Amino acid sequence: MNNIEADVVVVGGGPAGLAAAVSAKENGADQVLILDRNSWLGGILPQCIHDGFGVEETGKSMTGPEYADKYIELAEQKNIIIMNETMVLKLNKNKEITAVNKKGLYKIKSKAIILAMGCREKTRWNAMIPGNRPSGIFTAGVAQSLINLYNIMPGKNVVVVGSGDVGLIMARRLKFEGAHVLGVVEVLPYSSGLPRNIVQCLDDYNIPLFLNHTITCIEGKERVEQITICQLDKNLNPIVNTQKKIKCDTLLLSLGLIPENELSKNADIQIDELTGGPIVDQNFQTSKGGIFACGNCLQVYDNVDLLSKDAKRVGKYSVKKTIQSKKFIIVKPGKGIRNIVPQRIGKTENVHFTCRVEKPYETPTLHVISGNKQILKKKLKWANPANMIEFNLDISEDIVRFNDSIEVLLDVK
Amino acid sequence: MLNEQEITCIVCPVGCKILVRTSKNHIELLDGNKCKKGIEYARNEALDPRRMLTSTIFVKNGEWPLVSVKSSQPVPKDKIFLVLKEIKKISVNAPVKSGYKIINNVANTNINIITTKSIRKLKKRDKSIN
Amino acid sequence: MKNFHVAIIGSGVVGSSIAWELSKYKINVAVFEMGSDVTCGATKANSGVIHSGINSPNNSLKAKFCIDGNKMFQSLSNKMNFPLKWVGKFVIAKNQDEIKKLERLKKIGEKNKVTGLEILEKSEVSQKEPNIKCTAALWVPKAGITLPYLFNIALAENAAINNVIFFLETEVKDIKKGKNNFLINTNKGKFQSKIVVNASGINCRKIVSMLEDPDFQVYPCRGEYLVLDKNCNSLVNSMIYQIPNDEIGVLGIHITPTIEGNILLGPSAEFINDFYDKRNTKEMMNNLLTQAKELLPILPPNSIINAYSGIRCKLSPPELGGWADYRIEESKNTPGLINLLGIESPGLTAAPAIAKEILKIISKKIKLINKPHFKIHKIQNKRFSEMSAKEQSKLIDKNPRWGRIICRCENITEAEVINALSNPLGAKTLSAVKYRCRAGMGRCQGGFCTQHVVRIMEEFFKIEVKDIKLKSPKSNVFYGRTREMIDE
Repeated sequence: MNNIEADVVVVGGGPAGLAAAVSAKENGADQVLILDRNSWLGGILPQCIHDGFGVEETGKSMTGPEYADKYIELAEQKNIIIMNETMVLKLNKNKEITAVNKKGLYKIKSKAIILAMGCREKTRWNAMIPGNRPSGIFTAGVAQSLINLYNIMPGKNVVVVGSGDVGLIMARRLKFEGAHVLGVVEVLPYSSGLPRNIVQCLDDYNIPLFLNHTITCIEGKERVEQITICQLDKNLNPIVNTQKKIKCDTLLLSLGLIPENELSKNADIQIDELTGGPIVDQNFQTSKGGIFACGNCLQVYDNVDLLSKDAKRVGKYSVKKTIQSKKFIIVKPGKGIRNIVPQRIGKTENVHFTCRVEKPYETPTLHVISGNKQILKKKLKWANPANMIEFNLDISEDIVRFNDSIEVLLDVK
Repeated sequence: MLNEQEITCIVCPVGCKILVRTSKNHIELLDGNKCKKGIEYARNEALDPRRMLTSTIFVKNGEWPLVSVKSSQPVPKDKIFLVLKEIKKISVNAPVKSGYKIINNVANTNINIITTKSIRKLKKRDKSIN
Repeated sequence: MKNFHVAIIGSGVVGSSIAWELSKYKINVAVFEMGSDVTCGATKANSGVIHSGINSPNNSLKAKFCIDGNKMFQSLSNKMNFPLKWVGKFVIAKNQDEIKKLERLKKIGEKNKVTGLEILEKSEVSQKEPNIKCTAALWVPKAGITLPYLFNIALAENAAINNVIFFLETEVKDIKKGKNNFLINTNKGKFQSKIVVNASGINCRKIVSMLEDPDFQVYPCRGEYLVLDKNCNSLVNSMIYQIPNDEIGVLGIHITPTIEGNILLGPSAEFINDFYDKRNTKEMMNNLLTQAKELLPILPPNSIINAYSGIRCKLSPPELGGWADYRIEESKNTPGLINLLGIESPGLTAAPAIAKEILKIISKKIKLINKPHFKIHKIQNKRFSEMSAKEQSKLIDKNPRWGRIICRCENITEAEVINALSNPLGAKTLSAVKYRCRAGMGRCQGGFCTQHVVRIMEEFFKIEVKDIKLKSPKSNVFYGRTREMIDE
């Protein structure tokens, strides 16, 4: 058993972990260590060969690998210790990390731990899709890694389920690699992907988008042979006699992402059911002092720019003096709001919030209330669940004095 | 020859549907945008639609079998599959550095194909099972 | 080799149990399996329960073989190292009427010589199972759980290292009775054997009809299951069963903990027309969840990580109650053909005892001489994730491949995957890996490990990507390469 002591340990070397580690160094941390389970750094970015990364951050539109390389170079320059192909087996209640790689077992103690494990994809069974269980069913991320990293073509006649950005990007990628993309199936009456992707991934190539449709059956004796889709009414119930069978050999599932927090749960870190990630304060500190969370394991982000911005703040906080409060103001998501980060405030100051709405709204007004006092009112041109909303709020003595919670909600006229 | 099309603006998530009527290389009508950015976008989209292209190229003797690449500028829409065809034909030997111009003037478009990743040469690895 | 003393058709738990018994003797045994690995049929698709014998009518073969088989499991597990836990079973009564049924069940059990049966009150049940809603329950201590696929694999791999030849992806197309033996025609060539053991499960009638007019029908009855996340494993300690439904002769929904810490919900019971329709249906999945929530109200939402189904080989139709006893016998019309028909629940439990019975039949036809060097192969040492830090470090020192984790959900190492693919049967599908070392059985369902398992298959076993299969002969996972090697 090898023993390691560090100032900051980052679990996960994807974009969040890299940005946090670099920032921790820049803010004075001495020994900063990144643990990543893959042989490469950058997490999911090396397989995201399309562009669109870093526009807000740098003004340039980079591809995933280029964006990752930017941070990897910084990490190397700043002498951050990197352990690849290293899996964290356990984070115990005393903040000790047990990790393993080909060289052996490690017990790692650190002043601060930053959780940056990212997320995993929803599987067919999370959505309980009925039918046979043939080969040829892939989640979109796995298909992406097969095509872009491993030189493997998953199939030839493909149906994509889920019209989020990942599904749309993969529809185009498959088309570029010679597959027949027979359609994209979406449960909602709108696609949750960016309009840019709908145009450049579907419209450009005449790939049909079946809105308000769900997949009701997968058929195939050994490999996928056909799927059945069916239209839904506005209550998401199947409409009788609208079934359509599509012959195909490959099904790509882009059903959504789940923040990866098994390590957090086993360390008794409190999890927010609504985000799927740890409950954090404005310093991104979890319910366990000295353990912070950032990136997709905290909440699923839309774009890497905001994710990196937040991760850099986490890196800073992991080094500076953090909130030691026992008393917190709880931030409650109210009407129209699906989730909000941070979930609690431990200090009076200006706080940056990110939240998601439950469904699309036109010209909603965002309110923050404390007791019966309105402390913020912000008019928005539009809001939809696929686009995270940011806002700043001054948490003052006045607010915290008489209340132990504030509520964020939407008002739609 | 009048050509009419409905273009979905992609500049912001509102996604205005903009009607554009063109004659030869002239915009005759452009309507439906809620802001100025939409005009520029719709004009370009109607007269000279282009797309950034990204793909992969086969690598010989590398740690990974593929290197990701991008076009140096957006490619005319009607040339996309021609460019992809050229990209699929070639291979490169490891090591490859990111930012390397792997194809010059692909398919006569005056656009180059550039690597977006570095791939190291494959070290001899122990593949015995013990 | 083309000539055998015994040819076993089907390598499920019954066929493999027989193969293993026969492998102790100096005879040539072949097993023909149409799937890409053993355990491809009902054996991998059940609850993994070692039944006590309370569910089978007195004096039936089902009861006899269940009780005999139950007694054999512990020593088999000690020998071959497949996992086994005697977690016990509660049969739940939801109301007073059902308590009468419990009493009846207890009587049947006692007549079958099942020991330790006790009817417990609600408060006594709550002490052992605080999350279960019930009025009373029958406690059955002699019921246990195993991993049925690992048991099957243990039997088959042990038979293989004792020279039984397993022909995988080999389908029997027809059989002809010659003068002294059978001529077996398969998709991989022709073989001869003195005796044919028909352990082909759902296909048992098809095999019989190659030689004679079958005097029975098969009524396929599908059972669907849901698999719950390991995070649910503290919800129950033992198996929780509903009172058996007399009408259709199946056990009703169970909540069954697994050896590895998951929970199984199921099975359903649905007579179907297509013998091979193993699909999961929306109705049954919802039904199972609803029934489970009735017994276990605190079942958390979004706990389902997997679903599967199996087809029971029933010999009696629903109109006649759906219950029939096992038929384990040498065919009267075709001597030398030994049939195992209708081996449904408690088939897993009964398998070792059934094998002994078949051994008896065969010993009357062929002289069985013990092999002097009969080997026992322990199929499973501890998983890396179950070892102490000291054990883990020691292994990594010896072989660094024990330090590279390729399945994040279950913490499975590269060494374990390589061991799985090195199995003596030559099975090399993704499922072969999954069933032997568990990679792919976690909540992400192969999202992380698939890429690494595929790379191991390519690098160490030289399997071409287009030849990689999921589980059966034509279940190829990939189309091919995106870019081929370009020859100048």
